[in-house]
This record gives sequence, C-alpha cells and structure tokens, in this order.
Amino acid sequence: MFLWLWVILIAAGLAPGVSRMVGSRGGWLLALVPAGVAVCLLQQWPAVVNQQNVSAAVDWVPSLHLMVSLRLDGLSLLFGLLVTGIGALVLVYAGAYLKGDERLGRLWMFLLLFMAAMLGVVLADNLLTLFIFWELTSITSYLLIGFNSDRPESRASALQALLVTGGGGLLLLPGLLLLGFAGQSFEISELLNHADQIQQHAFYGPMLVLILLGAFTKSAQFPFHFWLPDAMAAPTPISAYLHSATMVKAGVYLVARLHPVLGGTAEWFWMIAPIGTATMVLGAVLALRATDLKQILAYATISVLGTLMMLLGIGTEATLTAALVLLVAHALYKGGLFMMAGAVDHAVHQRDIRLLGGLRSVMPATCGAALLAGISMAGILPTFGFIAKETWYEAVGSQASVPYLVASVLSNIGLVAAAGMVCITPFFGRQTDAAQQAHEGGPALWGPPVVLGIAGFCLGLLPGPFSELLAAGSTAIAGQDVSVKLKLWHGVNAALLLSLLTLAGGFLLYWQRHRLAGVITATDRFMPWGPAGAYRWLLKSVNQLARGQTAILQNGYLRYYLLMMVGLTVFSVWMALGGELSSHLDPMPFDFRIHEVMLAGLILMSAVVAVRAKTWLLSVGALGIAGYAVAGIFVLFGAPDLAMTQFVIETLTVFLFVMAFSRLPDFRRLSSVHTRRRDALIAVVAGGTITMLLLFAMTVRSDHPISAYYAAHSVPEAHGRNVVNVILVDFRALDTLGEITVLSIAAIGVYSLLMLRPAARPGSTDSSGNEADDSSRGSAQRGN
Amino acid sequence: MSAQVAVILPIALPLATMAVLVLAWKSIPAQKIIGVGGSTLLLISAAALWWQVDRNDILVLQVGNWPAPFGITLVADRLSAIMVLLAGLMVFAVSVYSLVTIDDRRVEFGFHPLVQLLLMGVCGAFLTGDLFNLYVWFEVMLIASFVLLTLGGERGQLEGAIKYVTLNLISSAVFLAAIGVIYAATGTLNMADLALKLRSFPDEGIVSVLAMLFLIAFGTKAAVFPLFFWLPASYHTPPVAVSAIFAGLLTKVGVYSLIRTFTLMFVTDLDFTHNLLLLIAGLTMVTGVLGAMAQSEIRRILSFHIVSQIGYMLMGLALFTPLALAGSVFYIIHHIVVKTNLFLIGGVVERHCGTGRLAETGGLSGSAPVLATLFFLSAMSLAGIPPLSGFFAKLTLIQGGLEAERYAIVAAALGVSLLTMFSMTKIWAEVFWKPAPEEALPEACGEPHSMTDRFSLYGPILLLATFTVGIGLMAGPVMKASLATARQLLDQDAYIQAVLPNSRLPESEAGAADSNADVGPLAGQRPAAQESPQSPRGGTVE
Amino acid sequence: MDIILAITVGGLYAAGIYMMLRRSVVKLLIGLGLLSHAANLLIFTAGGVIRGRVPVVPAGEMQPLETIADPLPQALILTAIVISFAVLAFALVLIYRTCQTLGTDDLDQLKATDT
Repeated sequence: MFLWLWVILIAAGLAPGVSRMVGSRGGWLLALVPAGVAVCLLQQWPAVVNQQNVSAAVDWVPSLHLMVSLRLDGLSLLFGLLVTGIGALVLVYAGAYLKGDERLGRLWMFLLLFMAAMLGVVLADNLLTLFIFWELTSITSYLLIGFNSDRPESRASALQALLVTGGGGLLLLPGLLLLGFAGQSFEISELLNHADQIQQHAFYGPMLVLILLGAFTKSAQFPFHFWLPDAMAAPTPISAYLHSATMVKAGVYLVARLHPVLGGTAEWFWMIAPIGTATMVLGAVLALRATDLKQILAYATISVLGTLMMLLGIGTEATLTAALVLLVAHALYKGGLFMMAGAVDHAVHQRDIRLLGGLRSVMPATCGAALLAGISMAGILPTFGFIAKETWYEAVGSQASVPYLVASVLSNIGLVAAAGMVCITPFFGRQTDAAQQAHEGGPALWGPPVVLGIAGFCLGLLPGPFSELLAAGSTAIAGQDVSVKLKLWHGVNAALLLSLLTLAGGFLLYWQRHRLAGVITATDRFMPWGPAGAYRWLLKSVNQLARGQTAILQNGYLRYYLLMMVGLTVFSVWMALGGELSSHLDPMPFDFRIHEVMLAGLILMSAVVAVRAKTWLLSVGALGIAGYAVAGIFVLFGAPDLAMTQFVIETLTVFLFVMAFSRLPDFRRLSSVHTRRRDALIAVVAGGTITMLLLFAMTVRSDHPISAYYAAHSVPEAHGRNVVNVILVDFRALDTLGEITVLSIAAIGVYSLLMLRPAARPGSTDSSGNEADDSSRGSAQRGN
Repeated sequence: MSAQVAVILPIALPLATMAVLVLAWKSIPAQKIIGVGGSTLLLISAAALWWQVDRNDILVLQVGNWPAPFGITLVADRLSAIMVLLAGLMVFAVSVYSLVTIDDRRVEFGFHPLVQLLLMGVCGAFLTGDLFNLYVWFEVMLIASFVLLTLGGERGQLEGAIKYVTLNLISSAVFLAAIGVIYAATGTLNMADLALKLRSFPDEGIVSVLAMLFLIAFGTKAAVFPLFFWLPASYHTPPVAVSAIFAGLLTKVGVYSLIRTFTLMFVTDLDFTHNLLLLIAGLTMVTGVLGAMAQSEIRRILSFHIVSQIGYMLMGLALFTPLALAGSVFYIIHHIVVKTNLFLIGGVVERHCGTGRLAETGGLSGSAPVLATLFFLSAMSLAGIPPLSGFFAKLTLIQGGLEAERYAIVAAALGVSLLTMFSMTKIWAEVFWKPAPEEALPEACGEPHSMTDRFSLYGPILLLATFTVGIGLMAGPVMKASLATARQLLDQDAYIQAVLPNSRLPESEAGAADSNADVGPLAGQRPAAQESPQSPRGGTVE
Repeated sequence: MDIILAITVGGLYAAGIYMMLRRSVVKLLIGLGLLSHAANLLIFTAGGVIRGRVPVVPAGEMQPLETIADPLPQALILTAIVISFAVLAFALVLIYRTCQTLGTDDLDQLKATDT
C-alpha cells in the first residue's frame, strides 16, 4: 500500500521533466500511474467486500502515537477509486487544457502531490497520519488555487481557502488528539471497539465540536462555504478534481469514517444534520443566483456536500448508504460538468451563461458530455444520479422526518434548474457572438467528461456488481453489516413520485428563471453581511490589531523600552517577595565609622551631581569621583587589588569620555518637568528596591561559602599568597580567559567602528581612532 | 580522557581558529579559508561531543582539576550537546554563505575572527556549569555580537545597535546583581551545588526573587514579552549572514539558560515560577506574531517571528512534563535550522530584488523556482505544516499541553500557528507569486556567475532545507533524543551527582524529577496540576 | 555599615536608571557607567564586608591566620570591572559614531529601525 503512495509521489517528481520532454501529451503517460494504482485497488475488491481488510503500518514517532498505518476497507476503496480514477482523467485533461503553457509541468506535479495526499487521507488508519495527509491536501490546494499567481484575486482566494481550511485543520488537530486520549489509541480500527467509552468520556463534547469544525471547513459547510466559490479562481482541471470530486469530500469522508466511533448520539445528530440541511438549501439557492458557469457548479457542489452531511448526520443505515451512493454519483457528474465548463471556457474564453448560447453546433462532443452529466445531475432515468436521488428520498422519507424531506426536495428542484442552466443554456438557443468563433478542442478536452458521463450511465443501468462495494462501504460507516441492493427501477412508489415532482418543479423553475431576476437583485444588498464579509472583516481587524499593538509596543523610544524593563524588574521583585519582607528586616547593628560614612556620602553626592549637571563635563567628572570613592570603599574593606583596578579603569573611562565628546555642546533640556518627575520617581523606587533586596539578601547570608576552600588551598596547591589573584589565574582561570577575550573583541570593535565606514571620509577622524584604540590596548595589558 | 577533550573543544577550537585568523589578518582569501575551516572543525567536534554524550550520559570536566564546586566545571549533558551541535551546524552554514555575501572590507576588519569568538561565547554558555562563568560567556557573546552588528558602520546598523547594546547591558547588570545576591545567600556559584542548596533553602521569598531576577536577565536575551524590543529594532540592520547567525543562535542562548535554571535550580515553587513562565510564553507567542503581521519587510517579519517562537520554546518549559519539555527541545532544534535558513533565503531575495521590502519585490517563483521551493519548504515548516520539522515540534507541545490540561496555552499555540502561516504566505504571495513590480530596479546583484559562488550561496540553504525535511521524516529518532533530553533535564539528581560525586542528596522535595521521569507520556501530568492561569491570549488581545 | 552600603548601592542604581531614561545619548552612557559602579558595589556588599583583612596569606604560612575578607566576590568584581569597561568603551565609541553619522544626540530621533 505504501508503494501506491510512493509511485504517485515519484510521478509528481518526474512531472516537470515529462512536460519538458513529451509536452502536453505527457498527460496520457502520467495518467498511467493513477490508473495503475486504481487497478491495484480493484484487485483488492474481492478481499474488501469479504470484510478482509488490507493494512500496512510503519512506526514514525512512537512517543507521539504517530504511526503510518494504512487500512483498506470498503469506504477507503471507494474513495481511493474515485481519487485515482478521476485523477487519471484530470491529468489527461490538464495536458490539453494548459497545452503549450510552460507551467504545465508544475500543474501536473501539484495535481499528483495532491493525489498522493488525498489517497493518504482515505487510506490512513492512524488519526495523526490522517491529519498529516489532511494538511497536505490543504497546502496543495493553496498552491493550486493560486496557480494563476499573477492575478491578485487568485492569490486572495488561495489565502482565503488556506486560512479557512487550515484554521479548521488547527481545530481538528486537538479534536483528534482528545479522541485519541479518550479512546487510549490513535488507530481508528482500534477506536471502533471503544465507542461507548469515548462517548461517555468528558472530552466527547469538545472533541466532537473540534473534529466537526475541521470537517465543516474542509467540506465547505455553512457558514464556512464561502471559500469554495472563490476557489474557482483555479484553472478548471483543479476545480474539477479538488473542488468537486475529491478534496471537498474529505470532510464528508472524515465524518463518515468516525461515525461508528462518535456517531449515534443526539449531539451527533443535532450538530450535523441541521448544518448539512442549511448548507444544502443555501447552496441550491445561491447556485440559482450565479451566472458564471463555474460559480453555479461550485454552489451546486456546496448543496450536495450539505446533503451528504445531512444524510450522515441522520445516521440510519439507509441514509448512510444513500450518502455513499450520492457521493459517487456526484463525483462522476460534477467532475464531468467542470471539465465541460473548462472546455467551453477554453474555446470561448467566456463563462458567463448570459453571454453563452448555441454552442451545440460548434462543440458537439462537449455538448454531449454536458448532457450526459446533466441528466445525471438532474436525476433522470437511467443514470446513477437517478438511483442516488431515489435512495436519498427513500432513506430520509422512511425516517418520517418531514422537514428534512421537504428541504431535500426543495434543494433538488434548485439543482435541476441549475443543471439546466449549465447544460442547456450554453449549448442551445441563439448562438451568441462569443460562440461564433469557438471550435471544438481536442479529444483530451472532451474525452474525460464523456468517459465520466458514460460511467454514470453504466452504473445506472447495471448497479448490481457495484452494490457489493457500496455494501462494504456502508458497513464501514455504519459499524455493522449493511446489505445494499441497488436497482434502477423500484416500481412506482413515494420516492418516484417525489422525483417526478422534483423534475417538474426544476423544469418550471428553469423555464421561468428570468422572473427570479428581481428577487436576486433584491437580495444583493445582504451579501456583504454574509460569512464572506465576516471573514474579510476579521482579517482586516486582526491586521489592524497587529498594527496597533506593534505601534504601541515597538514604538522606537529606547527610554520606554528601558522603563518597561525597570518597571518589570521592580514589580516582579516585589511580587516575589510578597508580604514576607517585614518579618525579615530585623534591626541591624549600626556599626560604622565616620570616614566610611563620608565616603558613602561622597558617592551619593557625586551621583546626584552627575544627574543634575548642566554640562557633560561636570557630569562625567562626577561619575569619575563616584568611581574613585567606590575604590576607596574597596580599600577600606580589604580589597586593595580591586581598588587599584577601579582607579585605573575610572581614569581611563573619564579620559575616553573627554576624548569622544569634547566637541559636544552642553546638555539641552529635552524632557518636560512632568516626565522628569515621573522618571525620578521610578528611579528612586527602583533604587530603593535594590536596597531592600540587598538588605534582605544579607539576612539570609550563607555561613559556609565556598571561598573558605580558596583560603585553605591557595598556598599549598596553587602556590600563591594573594588569594584573589590565585582565584583569577588558577581556580577560575576560565573567567579570566573570557575577560581577556571580551577586551580584545571590544578593541576590534572600537577599531572597526572608527575605521570602517560605509562612505569613507578619510583624514578627519583618524587621530581619535588611534587614541581610542590605544587606550583599550592599555587596559588589555592590565587585564593580563 | 577523550570524552573530556570533547567537552573543551567547542570552546578551545574557535579560540584557536581566531588565533590563526589573527596571524593571517591581512589576507582576505586566507581569512575566508580559515574561517570556513575553523567552522568545519567546530562542527566535527560538536558532532563528536554529541556522540560522546549519547554514549556516556553527562560529561563533566573540572577545569584545572579543581574539584567542584570550587573550580569552574564544564558540563555537557544532552541539552548542551544538542545546542553545541546546532551551533556548529549554523556557523558552518553561515560561514560558507558569508563567502560571497560579506564584502571584503568587512572581512578585512575581522568578520571571521568575530564569528569565531561569538561561537566561543555561545558554546561556552552552553557548556559551563558555573553561574558566573555563564555571565562571562554571555559577555563574550554579547560584545562579539555588538561588534558584528555594527561592523560596517551603516546608519541603520548604528541606530539598531544603540538599542541592542543598551537593553542587553541592562540585562547583564540584572544578571550580575542576581549573581551577587545568590552568592551571598548560598555561598556558591556552581549550578549543581546551587541546585542542591536551593532545594533546602529556608527562605522561599529570596529564592523567588532570584528566580525573577534570572527570568528578567535571561528573558531579555531570549527576547520574551515584554523584554524583546531590542530584537526587532536591530536584527534586520546588519548583513544577512550576521542576521542569520544571530537569529539562529543568540536568543536560544537565553532560552537555554532559562531551561537550565528553571529545570535545575528554581524547581521548588513550580506554582509560582512555572505558571508565570506559561503566562509569559503565551503573551510572547501572541505579541510576536502580531508584530510580524504588522511588518512589510522580509527580515523584519522574520525577526518578530523569532519572538513569537520563543514563546513556544518556553511553553514546554512552563508545562514541565517530560513530553512538553521534549517539545521545547524539539522546537529549538527545528527553529534554529529553519529560522537561520529563512534569513539566508531572505538574503538571496534581497540580492535578486535589491530590497527586502515586500512591495518592491515579486515574480521570483518564475525567475527563481529553486529558491521558491526552498523558501516554501522552510516557510511551511515554520508554520508547522506536516511532514516538516515544525509540525512535529508543534504537535509535541500541543500533546504536552493537552495532557497537562492547560487548554488556554494550547489554544494560543494553535491560533498563533495559523497567524504564522498567514504571515509566511504573505511573504510567499508578495515575493514569489506576485509579478515583479513595473518600475523594478535592474537586478541588484542577481545570480552569482561562477559555480563556486553559486554553491556558496545555495549550498547552505540546500543543506538546511534538507535538515528541515529530514528532521520531519526522521522525527522518530529526533523525538527519542528530545525525550531523553527532557527526562535528563527533569532528573536533577543525576546532574548533581555527575558534577558533585561526593554530595549527599537529601530526599527530593520537589518530587518533579523522580515521579515524572519514568511516566509514559499519556499519563505524564504534572504532579500538582493547578487550575490554568488567566488566559494568556485574552490578556494581550484586549 | 551594611545598611549604609546598601543605601549607597540603591542610590547609585537610582541615579544610573534616571540618567538612562533621559533622551541624551551621553547621559545614557553616564547612566551605564553609574550602573556598573552600582553592580560592583552590590556584589561587594552582598558578599559581606569586613574591615581591613586583605585576603593574602602571610609569608611563611600555609593559611591565613585570621578571618579574611571573602576573596571570591573580589575576584568576580575584578572580572566584572574589566568586562564592563570594555563594553562601556565600545558603547562610547558607538555612540560617538552615531552622533557623528546622524548629527543628533537625541535618542528620540533614533526610531528609524523600529517602525
């Protein structure tokens, strides 16, 4: 089974080469790959219908419960055949559609990548594997929708589809994880045995909501449906494949797949069936509003997706089977209709049905394809679409759920009219100007839709052999054995009468569609308030929020950044200390001598002078005096080495200041009084905090510092009498190495700052450069 | 013995390379060759260190043979070894990339020696087991980064550097003050010894204060909310090679230090410290990604994303379960590779279009399809799309968050990843999809002509892109290593025992180490799971 | 004496922070200088101060005869002083060059790289 995926991936890698070497006919060559996979899938048919499921697994990340496990049952096989079968036709079709375009190779590559991802989704047994493939379909869909990347609306649609389906994916992920945690396994086949336990679990509600949101966004359910019509910006082969036949069904697939695990509860019904019904009706109504061929088809697709959800939500054996039948029928006719629309677009460069007409004579083959598919879409004998509709009505009707049945009939009436709009309007009636220059495309353009149309007829006429696969599929969805007997003719029953009613209503609606124009324009003004408008509003507001927040936070004023840091430090220190402070601050012994106090006073005074000075020279001088006074403190308390160093360094610092800023004017008063008062307050609070912290630290001072060791071992082992020096050069020599490194890097930095300039202005600054460099070299010597 | 050499080599090799570089100061070709050669050696030695640590568990080197805690101890555990390995990989990639992208004037003024010294500081910080020594390596790294940032002296560089330098110096001052206080309180500087002493420390208040001070000091280097301002102000100003190595490594030294201190030393009051970390993690994620959305220049966007992703790395630390911590480690591995690569790619884009401003770029998916593919892979990896490295990093953290029942942070992480995808697709759509603007400048540098130049430009990008795909496909082994790292981090006793073989371990009161280390991920909840803190998202969006 | 030193340290921090919050780059630099004095003095005070008692082992002895001042904070401060000098010198030249290139010493004018 892994081989199938690999083969498709390899074909994707080869696709650009094929397009360069073989040209547009390479589509036939590439189509052999999915066709071959389809044949392999068919070989599994006997095993699958006998409930012998085929599986394969490889460990990927065991600690995350991620195993690439694949499993083929009736449902997977059905989807797999659709993915590969329609995929093969689309590859051929795409070759003709983009004939001569240098991007053809890329299109094939993306299509094949998508095919592999989609096949992975339907084959995956592990929840996380399923999710991985699921995300890959979103990404390939993004790339494909934006295929005409030079058009802004393509890029916007691609982004919209990605954000909606990707956002849904991000909800799906925690949903699947919760499911896995609740069921204590991430293998779907394993979870089937724990359905009760999962439905009792506290996570059941949240996981259901999250998973369904993922499925609803992917399958374009209301209110997330708006991305699908916009996705029609993609070239038509993509619309035919991803956005009608396969990818949008992934959500339906997921709901079907998890039905035996999560389904059968009231929550399940009430969360899915109403949404599905709303989507179904809305899609049908919106389809009638549209005038663009692809838009009509897109809304009709939404309607059918809604139906599928509704059927799955109702969740009886009959509705589950009906969903499966409808799904196959829809994939066949809608894929064909999209390809037909593409062929028309390709020939006429026009998709607006108001400007199309009379194409029958110039494009007979395409017209034939359209009719084949259209009959199935309208649900007329003897197509598979007819069987689908019969089964659907029967299944919903047997539940005696009248609202759902009425909604179904109404939406189907709309779809019949829509079928007329796409299959009859462009081909019959008066030939328009645009249609006159048109001519039929090659067989690769009309062949694939004809094949799909004929397939719909064949399945309609001979549904027998197919029933057993549908039975296997329904069994997988229902979680128990289901037998399916499809027949084209059921005799005259309620479902048939409803079908006739639908057809009659649909034809009437199509006939009188111009009368709807007034209604349509009347509803136009509500459109900005729809979900699409909400999406745009949300996008705009998040962007505004981002800009606003960033303008406030990253405002460019260094002093605000500093204020934030200082404030945070003070705040967090007080928060951490909490109320414990008072109990710790015992009165300390007031043991001091007058010269010490004077020295400390000198430090404080020079700090004040440095702050209040009006000229920079005075300020720097005060800084120097403070430094010397600190050196004095060092002398008094047994640190003469420190004092020496401090003295030298301080002198150098003052010297550097004088060198650098000698030409600078005096300080200007830049801040307002208010600002200065505020800053002073903050500074004093910060300083006070440090004092408190220091006093606090001294009350808990350790009695056994490691330095006792240094005093004891300095002479005997390190052979030095000055313990501080011994620490520097021996016990903690690595620190000193780092210190020297810092000095030398600073020297390089000073040198490069002064000498390396973008716009060289030689001469004027050389002297100061040398001096600054000298001074740091001087200090480097002390460091040694 | 060889194991001990492996510990010191990542510090000694860059120093030695620097010495050789100084001898060959005048020759630009020699600078380039020696620079790349030194980086290669560093990469090899880092790989050797990883190999040794993987075999021998924790490696300890008492420098000068002074017994711990009296001398300086170098410690290489799994986390250190992973970080050093990543640093080696990044400096190798960036050195090769710099061959064409760094102009001769900058080479003349010591670009290559500075890179080596930067790495010396970075590796020193990863390997030291001594708090003050960590400060020294921080300073080595900082001053080297200051000089690299300003090398060239362009206007933007100087402006950005003032903020970068000032804010980092403040954080150094806080760090130094914290060291002073912690030494006063415990009388030791060795981290293992500190862990031991803080465990039975009588006064909880002072421990909390110290935790806060270190949080602020390291948090500034790691660029967490609200201490990140220096990063977006400066990272886009120097040459791309410098931005790339900064983006890959510098903030991660801060994250590493946070992980080290908040798994080893400050684990006695998890409710306070780690809940606070969780709040910070959430706010950092959200503010960072919103910042990125507001930008319209490639490197500025990427810079804000660094901030956002630091939040993810802290998330695992804050959750403090083996799985979540493994998620942090995985995230770091992923992030360093991908973020560096995105900067490198951004540099090539700037060469093509003459600018990184999105409005003035365009059309590269047609004219540079290989670059487009490499960018798309890296960008999607950053956004957490499977099967690339970012997905597994995110998945691990989310699983960890769900297991710990911290739903708010999970929601934040997921929401932010959607916004990350948004801003990655923004770059993609503007630079690669959009047609080149009409009044486009003639290509600034365009493609380098010679084969070796092309290799030097694209080789590192290709290498790192391979890594992001490879980490994804090989996520099993990487995850195994991350989990082993996480378990080792949570087993404080083993670390202490390795550094101080003679210490008597009191019964672990924190209990986090032993009780969690062996519990499987499914059940690995934190011992005292508290109700989640106020929603980190709600706080910022308001 | 501890209390007085602690107050001095707090005062130095306050002065340094206030100076750094000003708009003039030179004041910023002076603030940095004050802050580094403050940090050094903080370590010194926190480590415990004893009058006299230089940490030197008298000639002929193997160990100091009486309690000496803690040598480790002194060693740390020595390293820190040199490092902060190196950094300060670099910052000084950086600011000098910035003033020269941009023609202003007002930090509020330096916002181009943020927005």
